[in-house]
Amino acid sequence: MAGRQPRFNQTTLIDTTPLPAEIPPVTEIGSSSAPLLSASFFIGARCKPYNDDFMQCKSESNGKGEIDCLKEGRKVTRCARSVIEDVNKHCLEEFRKHWTCLDNNNQQLWQCRPAEWKLNKCVFDNLKLEKVIPDTPAGETPVHLKKRSTYSHHGP
Amino acid sequence: MGVPFEALIPYGIMLAMFGVTGAGLSKIRHMQNGGKRARHSVDQWDRVMMDRDRRLTGYLRGQTDSPSAPAGFELNNPWRLEKRII
Repeated sequence: MAGRQPRFNQTTLIDTTPLPAEIPPVTEIGSSSAPLLSASFFIGARCKPYNDDFMQCKSESNGKGEIDCLKEGRKVTRCARSVIEDVNKHCLEEFRKHWTCLDNNNQQLWQCRPAEWKLNKCVFDNLKLEKVIPDTPAGETPVHLKKRSTYSHHGP
Repeated sequence: MGVPFEALIPYGIMLAMFGVTGAGLSKIRHMQNGGKRARHSVDQWDRVMMDRDRRLTGYLRGQTDSPSAPAGFELNNPWRLEKRII
């Protein structure tokens, strides 16, 4: 019964019991959707092993992933948090421009390519993280490096 | 012969009316969305992310880029309760 989304909810319940003491606490990431989308490929570049571990644990845990994979989840959170701290420290201006542009454009990455190129350059120079789209067919330019985009608001 | 501008006045009036209503609606949606363009084609992922933004910042379209969540963020995702019908 708890598996379906509530349809007619009238009240909410906030459960304030803390987690058991043997689970080490980890501060959650405080970025909202646009900065996270903007930094997502850099988080993927740095945290790929931890993310893959977590996804493998969840898919092998037969439905008990929320309880069994807490340790891998903590590693994922700490790694993503380190990426966001580093981007904030080195490239704050370009990062803010990019996610403000994304926020104005329905979170569509293809509308904000000029700002994204500047952010990619800054992050590559300072943090050595490169945005790579996995499974790009060989011999084709990846979609974020193409110079022309027909329908975006910033023109070709 | 000059251009018969009296015949084009009704078209001008129609254009102005459409323009004013379009601009007014766009301005209202702009104000409703906290000074940003409205979101369209919002799916379940986007709804969940916008709910997380509201829990983080207090506004549905608010954004922050701090690495740590504010205190109390771990606790403010509520269980949504339904009354029984039977």
